[in-house]
Amino acid sequence: MKRRHRPELSLALIMSGMVVLIVVISIFLAFEIFMGLYENSMKESAITSSEQAIGQVAKTIAKYTDNISLIMEEIQNGISNGEEDFANLLDTRPDIVAITMYDESGRLTGCWAGEYELKKSVAKNLSYMEIPQGSRDLNISKPHIESLFVGEYPWVVTIAQDAMINSGEWVRISLDIRFSEIANYMDGVGIGQHGYCFIMDKEGNVIYHPKQQLLYFKVKEENTETLQLLADGSHTESNVIYTIRSLENCDWRIVGVCSVDEVITAKVRYTLRLLGALLLLVLLTASISGGVFARIFSNPVKILVKAMGKFEENAEEFQFTPVRGTSEVAALSDSFGHMVVNMQKLVERIRQEEVFLRKTELNALQSQINPHFLYNTLDSVSWMCEEGRNKDAAFMVNTLARLFRISISKGHDLIPIEKELQHAECYLQIQKFRYKNQFNYSIEADPECLSYYCNKIMLQPMIENAIYHGLDRMVDEGAILIRIFWEGKDIVMEVEDNGIGMTPQQCEDILQIERKERKVSGDQIGIGIKNVHDRIRIYFGEPYGIVIESEEDVGTKVIIRIPAIKEGEL
Amino acid sequence: MRARRAIAFAFAAFFLAACQANAPAPSRRYVALVSKTTTNAFWKYVYAGANVAATEYNLALTMDGPENEKNYVAQNKLVEKAVADGAEAIVFSAIDYNASAKTIQEAVKKGVKIIVIDSDVNSDQVSCRIGTDNYAAGCMAAKAAMGCEEGVLNIGIVNIDKNTENGQQREQGFRDEIAKDMRVAMVQTVNAMEGEEEALEKTKQLLLDYPGINVLVGLNEWTGLGISDAVEELGLAEKTLVVAFDNNVRCIRRLESGEVDALIVQNSFAMGYLGIESAYKLLKGGTLPERINTDITLITRENMYDEDCQKVLFMFD
Repeated sequence: MKRRHRPELSLALIMSGMVVLIVVISIFLAFEIFMGLYENSMKESAITSSEQAIGQVAKTIAKYTDNISLIMEEIQNGISNGEEDFANLLDTRPDIVAITMYDESGRLTGCWAGEYELKKSVAKNLSYMEIPQGSRDLNISKPHIESLFVGEYPWVVTIAQDAMINSGEWVRISLDIRFSEIANYMDGVGIGQHGYCFIMDKEGNVIYHPKQQLLYFKVKEENTETLQLLADGSHTESNVIYTIRSLENCDWRIVGVCSVDEVITAKVRYTLRLLGALLLLVLLTASISGGVFARIFSNPVKILVKAMGKFEENAEEFQFTPVRGTSEVAALSDSFGHMVVNMQKLVERIRQEEVFLRKTELNALQSQINPHFLYNTLDSVSWMCEEGRNKDAAFMVNTLARLFRISISKGHDLIPIEKELQHAECYLQIQKFRYKNQFNYSIEADPECLSYYCNKIMLQPMIENAIYHGLDRMVDEGAILIRIFWEGKDIVMEVEDNGIGMTPQQCEDILQIERKERKVSGDQIGIGIKNVHDRIRIYFGEPYGIVIESEEDVGTKVIIRIPAIKEGEL
Repeated sequence: MRARRAIAFAFAAFFLAACQANAPAPSRRYVALVSKTTTNAFWKYVYAGANVAATEYNLALTMDGPENEKNYVAQNKLVEKAVADGAEAIVFSAIDYNASAKTIQEAVKKGVKIIVIDSDVNSDQVSCRIGTDNYAAGCMAAKAAMGCEEGVLNIGIVNIDKNTENGQQREQGFRDEIAKDMRVAMVQTVNAMEGEEEALEKTKQLLLDYPGINVLVGLNEWTGLGISDAVEELGLAEKTLVVAFDNNVRCIRRLESGEVDALIVQNSFAMGYLGIESAYKLLKGGTLPERINTDITLITRENMYDEDCQKVLFMFD
């Protein structure tokens, strides 16, 4: 019973919890797998498109630098041919800001710059590059301000190369190139949604960046220090894919930047939102289904459990009303119903069998009384007849007849106390004749008790015992007192004699020791008393029955206690 | 059956959610920039920065300002017009610290977010202030002025309108810092309100009134230009140390040729960019720091072609 008070998880709660758990786990698993695949494919496609774009950019820029080196060659050829005017060149190439020439000591020897006016004194010539003398490579500077002209400060890169002139001297030719052409092209290159590409040199200086201004004004940063260390190819760093490719004809490197997470995190966020909605929905449906489940399964089960508890407490009077619900519950309920009916049938049968057994036993007990008494009485009657005491013989036979009539009592077990008393008196009268008035008897009965019922043949065994075992061996005249009176709600019958009495041990033995054992011991005292005691106990249970009070050489008192029972009450 | 219905319901809900998530974004959000004026290089760079940010964050942007830095009435009208046109945020630089306060309060009341760049307005409703630490800029100008090698420093300041907050801050910074130099004999201030020509005239008058002046300081772009014009006109380049503000090409030229000796260059491009970016962040529901200071750089003839100074001094176009 205690089990029921322990805090328990209801079935419905467990079910909803499990549903939620399973759904959550499966969603997360599906999400993880899906996202993993998705992210990988996104990354791969991003890398592919980035590499393609960068390849294209590299090709274009390479073409541009090739073009520049062609121009450089052209200038060199012009110089070796003594031609010293490059104004036409400047007209056709608006991206060339200025062509400057320096002698071996670095002195400015020539300058072509279209409309721009050369400063009278140049504070710092940024277009002059220190390169190894006689270098035939295309040397490209970092971006710098054109510092040669009055009031004009365009950003340029300088490309420098040495050339031998006819006199055998080296001249250094510098081309200042503005970004316009590269810029126009680079600004238009997109990689993915927000990807872009820029040019840096091998030292990590940004040559051209679509957001150069933001970099210069430190609003944005490009981590070229780490990029510079990376080899050509694609590198993924914290969700940003860098694709780097070096140009062959100069030390420029093209860097493509596209962020994976812009594309992917947007999707992730969207999916997460969906997932959140899904989870909410699952929780909702789980709680609803939990409620529904409780109603259609859990509640009937609870009712069943309660019914079982009641059945446990009181199996006999339990009334089972079938529980409605799902087929499983209905099956349970049906089975339980059948079980209840079967159990109750069984219990009833066992009880009936027990009662039948007891009755059989009782009948056997009752029938044990008679033979000796009957034999002795008939013997007495025979003697009377022989002696011609016809009157006495007639009284004796009549009394005996009455005795037997009452003891049979149409087969009833219970008879009015009045009858029982008559029975006892008949027996006393017969015995008094037989013992030739060796004893006297008296009866004190409360008249109000007489209409109540008692087991038949209760007093007779007591009296028999008093006569045979109490008075028989006495020298003095014996006396037997029968009293019937109320004690509380019970009726008490007492049979008292003034015979030899018994030891307390004997008194106890009479009621305790079973017949079988007694037969072994050969002690016949009190078989009748024990029978009566057993019968009362079978009929009325405790505390009814017999109590014996006895004192040696004083007498014995047998007290019978029975409930007050009216006709038909049992 | 119940389960199947629940699943169907769930799917329907997801499709609804998905449709909502894929719905086209609402039309572009409108941010207005109201500057002190539209003409000078400083504001040109601010506009350039603002444009870059507006493109980057896909914002509708209008930029306008009165014809000179005196006309706060016109500036207030521009603010009111932006509010009426449905600007969700206004990036603002006040000509007059107090005179625009009421207009700004009104705009805030209508739910418009205000971000101040460059010069402050007397309002506690400003979401974020972005720009030069003007006091520090004044100090920097003072340090440049102390570079004058004369034994006695007679300093003339040409400042903008007295009601303009950033000019006052710069002058305060300048005066506090220059006071540390024992050589300073005099610091005189004149205020020019309308522009370059007025600054030129005021400088000439100042030089007439105080012929001993050997340090001239212009606390913004056009006062600097006015001073350099005057110095050029009067041939005082050798005699006078001139400290000016910002990177107007004319000033750069005069820095090279000697009329100007030091330039305090503000990061005007960043002001414009950050102003618009901050507006975008605000509209997105983000939070901003109370103040964002943009860089200032001291440029002299000696360092003007240094790699880092080039980047600050010359616009990349």
